[in-house]
Amino acid sequence: MRITPTEVAALSLSIKVAFLSLVIMLPPGLLAGWLLAKRTFPGKALLNTFVMWPLVLPPIVSGYLLLILLGRHGFIGGLIYRVFGIEIVFTPLAVVIAVSVISFPLLVRGIVTGMESVPVELENAARTLGASPVKVFWTITFPLAYRGIIGGTILGFSKSLGEFGATIMVAGNIPGKTQTMALAIFSAVHLGEDASVYRLVFIATVVAFIALWLTERFTLR
Amino acid sequence: MGDSTNIRLNFRKSLGSFSLEVNCTLRTKVSAFLGVSGSGKSTLLNCISGTLTPDEGEIAFGDEVLYASASGINLPPEKRRFGYVFQEGYLFPHLTVAQNIRYGQPNPRKSTDAITVLEIGEFLQQYPKELSGGQRQRVAIARALAMEPRMLLMDEPLASLDSALKDRIIPYLHHVKEVFETPILYVTHAFSEAMALADEAFLIADGAIMASGEPHQLLTAPSAMPIAQMTGVENILFLPVTASDKARGLTALEIGDQSLIIPYIDVEVDEVVPVAIRAEDIMISLDPNLAISARNILLGKIQCLDVKGDRTWLSILVEWHHLAVKITHEAREQLQLREDLEVYCVIKASAINRLWD
Repeated sequence: MRITPTEVAALSLSIKVAFLSLVIMLPPGLLAGWLLAKRTFPGKALLNTFVMWPLVLPPIVSGYLLLILLGRHGFIGGLIYRVFGIEIVFTPLAVVIAVSVISFPLLVRGIVTGMESVPVELENAARTLGASPVKVFWTITFPLAYRGIIGGTILGFSKSLGEFGATIMVAGNIPGKTQTMALAIFSAVHLGEDASVYRLVFIATVVAFIALWLTERFTLR
Repeated sequence: MGDSTNIRLNFRKSLGSFSLEVNCTLRTKVSAFLGVSGSGKSTLLNCISGTLTPDEGEIAFGDEVLYASASGINLPPEKRRFGYVFQEGYLFPHLTVAQNIRYGQPNPRKSTDAITVLEIGEFLQQYPKELSGGQRQRVAIARALAMEPRMLLMDEPLASLDSALKDRIIPYLHHVKEVFETPILYVTHAFSEAMALADEAFLIADGAIMASGEPHQLLTAPSAMPIAQMTGVENILFLPVTASDKARGLTALEIGDQSLIIPYIDVEVDEVVPVAIRAEDIMISLDPNLAISARNILLGKIQCLDVKGDRTWLSILVEWHHLAVKITHEAREQLQLREDLEVYCVIKASAINRLWD
């Protein structure tokens, strides 16, 4: 069983994209998670709906909306094209964007669960001991919510690894450029390349198992 | 104490249908707020510490205004420097005892003092979950003291401990009161704790201060009976020892011209000891010549009767001490109890407990 360069490219793109999207989405994820778990403000339900939207939308629909938004004539895509002269759709950057949007709700869900489990009284106790809200976040809320944060991170990461619908809409399925593991499996099935399908499915299954097992290990007490 | 350490509380806070309104100045070293749960005690402390913002009014410590709705001043909790000790302790579970104490960036000398006074030196490297409830509460007090607070705010610090543990923590609180300059605002539902520690107490009910004064005055005044009923009070008396007989296992205390027999305690004659008697442990008799094993039959006079729920509460004046007594309605009717009636209070020696050392 020998893995082909196209398969290696797809696998490595998936992993790189998943990591990159995690790095990009973690700061806004922590902010959104903190707002949703710890604050009351007007429009909170709206923010939550907005964040969770991609979770309930069919990924194809999210992908289509992204395509419209990011295309050369789209609101964001057009602006970027005019300012930087670059196109987003059908590039690896489009993969990162698609994957980030789809995995964001899972990441935030985990963070919210983790932060909600930290009693507000502990945070108030820290405030009375002279800690600013920022210090309270980093010394109390964050370390005590770490199980939920790690859980959300791993779930989001796994979702990123396997994202299909949104990716194919905005990034296409260009081998060696925007073809991720999930897209490579799709193509291999269509082309009847059974050996390739088995290899990729095996790798995908193992990666998913490890991710889920790590989640359980970190989130179960 | 000078004016620089007075705390002035004059504010109002509504939470749903509940409303708290206070207007008082705390001048003594230890002030207690006494009330049942739901009376507004925690709201009061949260407004003072800054974790809750009042609707209007002013909170000032000496010359420093911490909150004033009129001028828009509202210092955040981290700028107020109150050492808050919570009922549940709220130690940070992911930090060791030493790290918990260091969290408030304490004055090193104060934290050493706090560790010494509360005798927690041996737990410093342990985590909160490895400690007993009483130990955790001592650490919580040390953590609050170490940051050199302008005042300690204690919210029912003993309420989550069983009574044997409470009696062991109270001496530590006494020690804190003696060693540290820090004034204390102590919130509790237990008269015994207020009497053990406070110089002045405020009775709080339904979000308002009903009465204030020295704790034992509040307890023994008939007007405090409603509060006594709410808080499930014990009668607490400070009485001098007249004789102590180790062989018979009994000690006699002087209560006016009468004498109160309690289980033997190793105390010098004439020393004053605080003792507690639960309101339901006192029986009422009209006849002093009972053939009964109880050692104490004290003559008193009924000051007032109050029917509350399924029990009758009596305030009985024995010499100059008021005893709160809880009996059934049947007993009241059968004995035809009424105000100004002379009765005998029958108390077993073993139902009388000496309070803290």
